[in-house]
Amino acid sequence: MLRGKVALVTGSSRGIGRAIALKLAKEGADVIINYFRQREAAEQTANEIEKLGVASKVIRANVGDPEKISEMFDIIASSFGRLDILVNNAASGLPRSALDLDMKAWAWTMDINARALLLCTQGAVKLMEGRGGKIVAVSSLGSSLVLPGYIAIGVSKATLEALTRYLAIELASKDICVNTVAASLVPTETGLLYARGGRPGAAAPLPTTPAGRMVSAEDIANVVTFLCCEEAFMIRGQTIIVDGGTSLAPFSLMNKGEAP
Amino acid sequence: MSAVEDTIKDIVVKIVHCDREVLKPEATFQDMKADSLDMVQVLVALEDEFGIEIPDEDAQKFKNFGDFVGYVEAKVAEKKGNA
Repeated sequence: MLRGKVALVTGSSRGIGRAIALKLAKEGADVIINYFRQREAAEQTANEIEKLGVASKVIRANVGDPEKISEMFDIIASSFGRLDILVNNAASGLPRSALDLDMKAWAWTMDINARALLLCTQGAVKLMEGRGGKIVAVSSLGSSLVLPGYIAIGVSKATLEALTRYLAIELASKDICVNTVAASLVPTETGLLYARGGRPGAAAPLPTTPAGRMVSAEDIANVVTFLCCEEAFMIRGQTIIVDGGTSLAPFSLMNKGEAP
Repeated sequence: MSAVEDTIKDIVVKIVHCDREVLKPEATFQDMKADSLDMVQVLVALEDEFGIEIPDEDAQKFKNFGDFVGYVEAKVAEKKGNA
């Protein structure tokens, strides 16, 4: 379905980004793996992608740093000469309350989670000109729901979703579709760390969803991949929620059996 | 003081905004008032500066500034040996 397309997935060494990268590769796309701190994991993901018979490349860049973003797109331009799909997935943030949130943590989170979508889009559009393309961002329910310790990330995700709408309209005439997929808690390494209040290995009951299980990274990857296909051409600037119904039924955020 | 240690101090002072005098071998990261964001930025700046790699798993083992300097010096020496 995506054969011949070139995709960049930011933050794809592990977790949701990795699942998205693998899914796009299974559909035939060449996939560029961007990472910041996890080189070995990034190389492993790239190896798995190459085993699927498509090309892959690993590029290290902190997407919170405009210069590194610019360098990443220079590498993509010289290696592939084009880009068809940008998945803005990389995210970071510290669990802090509003009163403990200093400017540094705020800027770090906003730069990586929200500003990167703007800057990566600027880089990507130059490589999509004349052919169109797909841009998909990854958000979370924390953009509209209030989750503990999630203020900076939640606000950055709200910014990401607003950016999605503006970018979708500005780029619509270039045949570039921009959308976002918002997930509830996904039990990746980072998701579990958040559920455990930032304490690795701590016991924590994991929430289920009205659909009877947690959302998986593959669930997110499936929807992102659909938005990268021509069938989704008329979906523009939307945030598609993939949460098993959680946001419609707040009691489902609690552990099964504990809800009143 | 080695040139590597001097460079590490320059980078830590610039990113963490602590006094250079605080950076004694026995100083902990709490003494330096460095949080996890500072640490990531210090690690990345050192990786770029010296062309080495400092995995997070290794970084979590540093008990104090002296451990950290020793680790980076060993990595830099290893890289020179391979060059």
